Amino acid sequence: MGGSIGRDSNYSYEPWYKYGLAFLYFEMLIAVGVTIFSLYMAFTGKGGVLGSGH
Amino acid sequence: MGTHKVEQLLIAAVAFFWCFLMWFATAAFSPSILVKFELTNTQFGILASSALWAAPILRPVAGFMADRLGAPKSFFIVLIITGTMSIVSSQVESYKWIFVTRAIVAMAGVAFVIGIQHVAQWFEEEEMGAAEGLYAGTGNAGAGAGMLLLPRLYGTDFSQAFLHLGIVAIIIAFWVIIRGVSAKSAEQAAMAKRTATLRDTAFVWTRYAAVALMLAYAMCFGLEISMNAWISGYYKMGFEDAIRALGFTSIEQVQIAAGTFGAVQSFNASLFRPFSGYVSDLFQRRNFMPFPIITKALPYSPRLHWLIFALLCVTTSMIGLTLAGLSGSVVLSVLVLALFGICVSFGTGATFAIVPLMFKERPGTATGFIGGISCLGGVLYPIIYGNASNIHMGYAYVAIAIFIPIMLFYIWAMHWDIAPENHGIGSKESWLGKDA
Repeated sequence: MGGSIGRDSNYSYEPWYKYGLAFLYFEMLIAVGVTIFSLYMAFTGKGGVLGSGH
Repeated sequence: MGTHKVEQLLIAAVAFFWCFLMWFATAAFSPSILVKFELTNTQFGILASSALWAAPILRPVAGFMADRLGAPKSFFIVLIITGTMSIVSSQVESYKWIFVTRAIVAMAGVAFVIGIQHVAQWFEEEEMGAAEGLYAGTGNAGAGAGMLLLPRLYGTDFSQAFLHLGIVAIIIAFWVIIRGVSAKSAEQAAMAKRTATLRDTAFVWTRYAAVALMLAYAMCFGLEISMNAWISGYYKMGFEDAIRALGFTSIEQVQIAAGTFGAVQSFNASLFRPFSGYVSDLFQRRNFMPFPIITKALPYSPRLHWLIFALLCVTTSMIGLTLAGLSGSVVLSVLVLALFGICVSFGTGATFAIVPLMFKERPGTATGFIGGISCLGGVLYPIIYGNASNIHMGYAYVAIAIFIPIMLFYIWAMHWDIAPENHGIGSKESWLGKDA
């Protein structure tokens, strides 16, 4: 598979873009956090974020 | 009226988030509804599946409406109708009327198409992936947020929840209509309006590239909603002994554990979606095109390459789910499920980084077709999973029998170096006339 890599240096992103990126990383952190917390709670028999614990 | 595209992105994301919250609020309270109305399994099954009935039919209509009227008016209509019906559903006392009113509230799911069209009307090509990803990922998270928060905030009082959700929807509707602007320029709005005709719709629906993107979206979003409905039952049926060994002894506790595993998939599939849009932008900026056959000549070709990579990840992770299931390890299965959710988000984010660019003149019509018909996957896959000889094998069957042919079709449909969106059944001229 012959890849093709180059850079489009003509386009500079507007200021909003870096805040957008920060927000999308924040959303990913939420997903990772929910995953880790849910798995920890579930595998220790505590019901996870959906459960009320038991 | 002065505005900024980020404000328009915020408006679209909030409206869509709230629509998704209302859409899946019925599911969040399903145990309480089941008990209050003393539903049989069949009645409950029909109520649960009714949430998906409207999407394949009404999403194309919503896309057409967004191009004709503009997104703010379209959002306003959807939010007012579904918000009002949510309020009405909080007051009804019979199963028949809860079914009718909640089925109408489920129309809120069409909002996805309207927002995709709106973001496409405001953002530049180079930032389309991140912008659409932020919109769709944040909005999709409304489903997971509803599942997690509504039962905690309202307990079993779903009537009060439906009432409050409806009131807020109406408030958001007025915010959208006051602050929303259809497009960054009058010319852009006029172009979308001009192409919102039945002939243009038929033209889009018969394009190989549109069909390929629709099937690709059925491989990811269709898969995501099918798993939302299927995965809890899968863990209960496929891993009940292993889950009981973790300390979940009663049937209620097994359901809680299985539901938790399902939420992992749902959150990853929603919240990694903006990241996928960003990676699409990165492929674009770095002009990265590693795959053969797929065209390298289009201005947005790198985004086509990111999508096929995402589809390969989805297919691989489906086979991984089968292998993890056959191993009998619930821990391994759930870890693969988390990766699977991320792969699905790669596919959803990658698809809608392409659609507004490929169908620039018809964003709503194309989004309605691709985002609507693909929901049928949510109905099809669970039927295959359920009929597999071994409950773990269904994922591999779907991957091999459906996903590999879809990928091959996608590669073929994206091989033209010039305007792949014009190739299809019947020429552009035959559908749109010689002036097209």
